Amino acid sequence: MRTAPLALALLLQASVASSAFPSPTAPPAAAAAAARTPSPPRARSRLLPTAAAVVPGLVVHGTGHYALGEPKTGRNLLLMQGIGLGIFLAGGLTIVFTGASRYFVAPAATATIAGFGLFSTSYLADIYGTVSTDSGAVRHAYRLPTTWETEMGYRRIQDPEFAYRDFLVERVSRRIGPLSLSPSGFFSTRGDTARYRIEAQYRLVDDTPDDIRFVDLTFGLTHQRYRPEHFTRSGAELSLDTRYDLARLGPTLRGSFIELGAGYALARLDYNLSGVKVPRDLDHVLLGRIGFGVMLRGQSAPGSEALVYYDHRHDDYVAGLKLHGIGSGVIGHFGLATRWFFNDSVGVALDAQAGSAYLAGASLIVRSHEYLPMCGRPCAVLRRKEEAAR
Amino acid sequence: MKPRAILGAISLLALSCLRPTEERVERDREVGQATGYGLTVSVEDGLAAVRSLSTPLITLWGSAPSFRFTVSSLGTRELFVDVQNCLPDAELQVVSGRALITPLDNVDADIPTRKRWQVDVNDGDTQLALAPQDSASAEPFRFALLSDIQEAIDKVSDIYDRINDEDGIRFVLGAGDLTSGGTREQLERFQKELLRLKVPYFATLGNHELGTRPDLFHDYFGRGNFHFRFHDVAFTLLDDGSASLDPTVYEWLDGWLEASRHDVHIVAMHIPPLDPFGVRNGAWASRAEAAKFLGRLAEGHVDLTLYGHIHSYYAFDNAGIPAFISGGGGAIPERFDGIGRHFMVFTADPQSGITAHDVVRVD
Repeated sequence: MRTAPLALALLLQASVASSAFPSPTAPPAAAAAAARTPSPPRARSRLLPTAAAVVPGLVVHGTGHYALGEPKTGRNLLLMQGIGLGIFLAGGLTIVFTGASRYFVAPAATATIAGFGLFSTSYLADIYGTVSTDSGAVRHAYRLPTTWETEMGYRRIQDPEFAYRDFLVERVSRRIGPLSLSPSGFFSTRGDTARYRIEAQYRLVDDTPDDIRFVDLTFGLTHQRYRPEHFTRSGAELSLDTRYDLARLGPTLRGSFIELGAGYALARLDYNLSGVKVPRDLDHVLLGRIGFGVMLRGQSAPGSEALVYYDHRHDDYVAGLKLHGIGSGVIGHFGLATRWFFNDSVGVALDAQAGSAYLAGASLIVRSHEYLPMCGRPCAVLRRKEEAAR
Repeated sequence: MKPRAILGAISLLALSCLRPTEERVERDREVGQATGYGLTVSVEDGLAAVRSLSTPLITLWGSAPSFRFTVSSLGTRELFVDVQNCLPDAELQVVSGRALITPLDNVDADIPTRKRWQVDVNDGDTQLALAPQDSASAEPFRFALLSDIQEAIDKVSDIYDRINDEDGIRFVLGAGDLTSGGTREQLERFQKELLRLKVPYFATLGNHELGTRPDLFHDYFGRGNFHFRFHDVAFTLLDDGSASLDPTVYEWLDGWLEASRHDVHIVAMHIPPLDPFGVRNGAWASRAEAAKFLGRLAEGHVDLTLYGHIHSYYAFDNAGIPAFISGGGGAIPERFDGIGRHFMVFTADPQSGITAHDVVRVD
């Protein structure tokens, strides 16, 4: 179950192996050749492709790229839609026809989420590819990982079930080779609720300037305290989180990526009730996350990006989406995360989420000037590029 | 392009809903209240739905074994009070005001859950009470739990027959999903099939009742959130069909918990706050809200929690309270669980709590 996203990514990669784009391990000369892609069509000529991507593209993903004169990319997006739809239906129908059997529901739900991710991302990527006119600038938007980064900000949470509203958030991230450690906290300004979390990520596959993919193994510990409601929630989780560079599907998609993640969390609920001794409950949570993101360029400094995502977890402040009708509570929440850097050191993070609650807020990010001394493949690729330039 | 795209995405996120149950809570408040033809009917705590009000007939659908209602009349009238979904031994009595009550023969002798009385009321308010004679008894009694019938309505009759064969069942609790989509036709069909059952069926709604109009259930079967007592045992049924409770319902719940703190108290709803097989997420939208809710039940000394939604049978504890999921009404079953269609039977003793429970397999 946990390797499903990786398998999907590999499947997707295999399906577009005939792409004209060089692999990330290609020699610098090949990468340089790839950089000499034809200049994108002028903005005026993109109106029709963009309209095609939005409207007929809703049904047939990739239509925009066919209209743009990029049939290979259009075909790849259509293939991605087909694979996504197939996986989504396979997972969803398994859930329906097994009556959400305890023996099948975890892999089936993971497949459903991943299928939805591929399906929806192919649509968004089609629009992105027809709108984006500066994909060449993406090569300058890459930034090596830094040794440390810190973030401090404010979040407003609107949840009719809880009295808390305002939170201060803090996160520090320290990276040592392929390992990063990120302690973080959410603190209600009323002092009644808090969430403490520490996350350790081990990067199994690095990103590079030519290929913004990665594979991370994430282990997290979380403790949430709800003082007025007299309970705490403490748990551990393990997940595999991947990013796949959509430039592999076509040159117009350079600068966009898909994220897929899956995992499992186990938590215990401790009730601190006055006058009543209550045994703890155990809770199991399926983790699943899909997202479509773009690297920001233009006025923003390297390392800036925006991500629209779906997160299946139901155990955080935003939890699952409540809807009118039959399906309320089943799905998780949606979010938009943006990181905009003004220069090499300072930036802001914007965060918006909608589920059982609404969350919105911003943080100030400060990151170190020092690049990671043991950054592996990214540094090697950069060195090769510099040597080739000399 | 980027700022516009970000604003667009934020607008999409705002389309979700934080209180999908709000409209249903407002309908809860209206249940049991009706005015017309110079008459006003007001059912205490909304424990019966006024199905029709005309001269001379008042038709009520009971949501509890016993309830009180007030008839306000402009002038003296000869009325007929038709109560559906009531205990076969229920009797109508005058609590206050002046009225003459005459029991009438059942409209259909094969339907013991429908009873009719002639009530001659005077000008002003007349308070009436419907209750079986043993309503306030402290003796143990049995009740059943049946949920998640949905598209299996065509064969629900054999479940009803099996319930009818059980000795001493006073009523059946329904933890939602009576229909597959909550359409008027499906609710009518459910009501028609229910005529076969020899005891009343007191139900809250499930997520499948929300498929068309969210409050159509209330027109037929009354409130989604209600509380009643029988033999000194408290019953609370909650509408969590949207995988959450409305904030207003928490206020009601606090009052019901406080009133029943020292009594045997059974709480039933459709969706379990926590799914014992959590990765399936057949549970509430927010695990934090689930913990908040379960903590309140534990503080209120609730004795038993009953759920549907998952089409199988599970016995577990939540916040130390015994819990059962019984979704055996015939909707697509959870495969490979070896359970199949079933209902549960409980014995409640006002002195000592839930003294027995059984799973009765139908297939």
